Amino acid sequence: MDAVLEADGLGKRYGNRWALRDCTFSLPEGQVAALVGPNGAGKSTLLHLAVGLLRPDDGSVRVLGQQPYDNVAVLPDLGFVAQDTPLYRDFTAAELVTMGGKLNRARWDASVARNRLAQLGIAPHQRVGTLSGGQRAQVALALALSKRPRLLLLDEPVASLDPLARHEFLQALMGSVAETGTTVLLSSHLLSDLERVCDHLVLLETAKVRLTGSVDDLLGTHRQLIGARHDGSAIPGVAAVIRESHTDRQSTLLVRVDGWVDETRWTSTEVGLEDLILGYLGDHRRQGSHAAWGVTA
Amino acid sequence: MVIEFVLDGRSKVNTYMQLVQQVRQALRVGLLESGDQLPKVRDVAQALAINPNTVLKAYRQLEMEGLAEGRPGVGTFVTGTLAGASLMHQAELRADLVGWLRRAQTAGLTADDIVALVDTTIRATLADDVIVVTHT
Amino acid sequence: MIWLVWRQHRKQALFAVAGLLALAAYIIPTGLGMRSTYTDLGLPACVSSMGDGQFIPSSFTNACNETIRSFIGRYTAVANVSVLLIFLPLLVGIFWGAPLVAREVEHGTHRLVWTQGVSRRQWAMAKFGLVGAGSLIVAVVYGFGVSWWMAPLNRVGVTRFETFKFDVGGIAPVGYTVFALALGIAAGTIFRKVMPAMAAVLVVFIPVRVLVAGLARPRFATPVELAIPVDQPNPNLNAARGDWIQSMAVKSADGQTLMDNASTACNPDAADCGGMSGALNTTLYQPGDRFWWFQGIETGLYVVVAAALIWIALRGLRRIA
Repeated sequence: MDAVLEADGLGKRYGNRWALRDCTFSLPEGQVAALVGPNGAGKSTLLHLAVGLLRPDDGSVRVLGQQPYDNVAVLPDLGFVAQDTPLYRDFTAAELVTMGGKLNRARWDASVARNRLAQLGIAPHQRVGTLSGGQRAQVALALALSKRPRLLLLDEPVASLDPLARHEFLQALMGSVAETGTTVLLSSHLLSDLERVCDHLVLLETAKVRLTGSVDDLLGTHRQLIGARHDGSAIPGVAAVIRESHTDRQSTLLVRVDGWVDETRWTSTEVGLEDLILGYLGDHRRQGSHAAWGVTA
Repeated sequence: MVIEFVLDGRSKVNTYMQLVQQVRQALRVGLLESGDQLPKVRDVAQALAINPNTVLKAYRQLEMEGLAEGRPGVGTFVTGTLAGASLMHQAELRADLVGWLRRAQTAGLTADDIVALVDTTIRATLADDVIVVTHT
Repeated sequence: MIWLVWRQHRKQALFAVAGLLALAAYIIPTGLGMRSTYTDLGLPACVSSMGDGQFIPSSFTNACNETIRSFIGRYTAVANVSVLLIFLPLLVGIFWGAPLVAREVEHGTHRLVWTQGVSRRQWAMAKFGLVGAGSLIVAVVYGFGVSWWMAPLNRVGVTRFETFKFDVGGIAPVGYTVFALALGIAAGTIFRKVMPAMAAVLVVFIPVRVLVAGLARPRFATPVELAIPVDQPNPNLNAARGDWIQSMAVKSADGQTLMDNASTACNPDAADCGGMSGALNTTLYQPGDRFWWFQGIETGLYVVVAAALIWIALRGLRRIA
């Protein structure tokens, strides 16, 4: 499988602060990838670098083998739905479709947008400003899909939608992915939606890639172990302890495994994507704050 | 469409396994028969808002189990069956199980105890099979 | 791109057309009326009697002088309305320039439009170019409209150099308009918000205009000095030439200013001319035929600054994400 999106040591700095640093991952074709991380972790920055809105300060990002910044050649292959799904509010739905045609002479399939808008029950003369948030998100998605993009990037497309609109948006998205085989990178902090939708993960935390890979691989190599209190020595079959908590008698560990774990000592259970993400994110966030507050942990 | 998939959001079972299990279940009770077409990947992905690769994976699993067959450009069709043999055995096994449950009750096990015991036993006995399944 | 720019700015274009029509509805009837009064009063003969010499010829009659005065008096109030046009470039800067980039960024739509099939440079060129062309048309139309309107008054001695008349006629409005527009665009790319960008246009445009008009413009060329000894009759400069009189003073023979903003004449009875013997009545002026030269310099100045601002805006645009 070819990488549709590839970041290598990618970094972006605003003043002295690195919004994204040393970011390396690749996204294989045909995958739906989740870009996850707390607010301010650099998700939008990464997406803006990938669609060529930003120029990298370090490393490189490649879309279908090309640098996206200031590169018109990449644009026809990219579909982008920015945060808060910005659209010209005084335009009618039909005018937006016309605009797409005028701005995308290389490749534009207006029938995609028309069919989707018809399905959504949006009239051509309806002003975008009068649409609901869910409808606007759908219109933005329809516009992006009309480009017939090979890579579709979505920045928090469902964050501000109610649960029904969110479900409908993801239905539309998954339906078109099935139809077109488009590769998708979708940023979100709504973890519950992601497990069903995504088969690839890029987890960002404080400007760095914390975890990346195919969801199946990640879930296959992580386990939750519960057993008698553990002294911290190496456990056979465990490559790394991601997170641990202890009582006087019992230890609960989130681990990455690389072999068989002694199941007579440990009760080993599989973890879900949401738990895995929370495990990685929770692991060192609280470090230091006890000292800062002058209390003991 | 012959069957419609539903997902149990609270289930710990993988999405793709849930699809596989639903097809197996439908085969067992005779809802699906050889020659039936399974729902199109696109329709399942859209209806359930799930990754189409998940649906593909479930269908591949069914193909590997010899229960279905993909016809390029057309769709996936049911080829095998789970009814028949297993249906015949089921009544017999059920009778055995009822007898065992009575013994467990007389031994003082509560319903919860029984579930826990069955659960751990299944995990220990069928552990290898489960792991084979999750790694495909 | 042209379709998009038209779609986004058609309201503004309609406003502009409506504004120009309103202006035309005012200046065409009054301009024609002024022209017929001009002929009815017999001013063409008066004007030709003024000739084109440096001074008013002696053949110029007092009656003509009176007619001209009444003509000017009658149309001064009407002419002063044109002062309002001074604000037109400012409006272009505030309402067309400032929101051009800033509103897109404020609404996030730049992320929509820059990720379609055109580069942001193409986008900028189309937007700046077409809105700029629209502003240019407005400026040219009203600049030359006002010039046409003013022509009869100019012929009878209302100098085109006069502040507020220089600024609304000829090609100068083009310079101001282009500058205001570029200023708005650049402020928009810097502040990325409509309100601060509008405020910046207001805060920068007015002082720049005042300073250039007040300090720089009089120095675009060295004025001509007319020096007449005080014991000789002080002739009047020929108003028909439209000279711009910048200052008058009474100076001693060695160049010392004796009286500012004044002229004097010797009492023929006084010996030694009242101690002012050898003094000169001096007038510093820019000859009227320098008008287009001055207009060219001022317009060029603003156009160059506008170009620099557009360059800044294009640079700033590259950093917006």
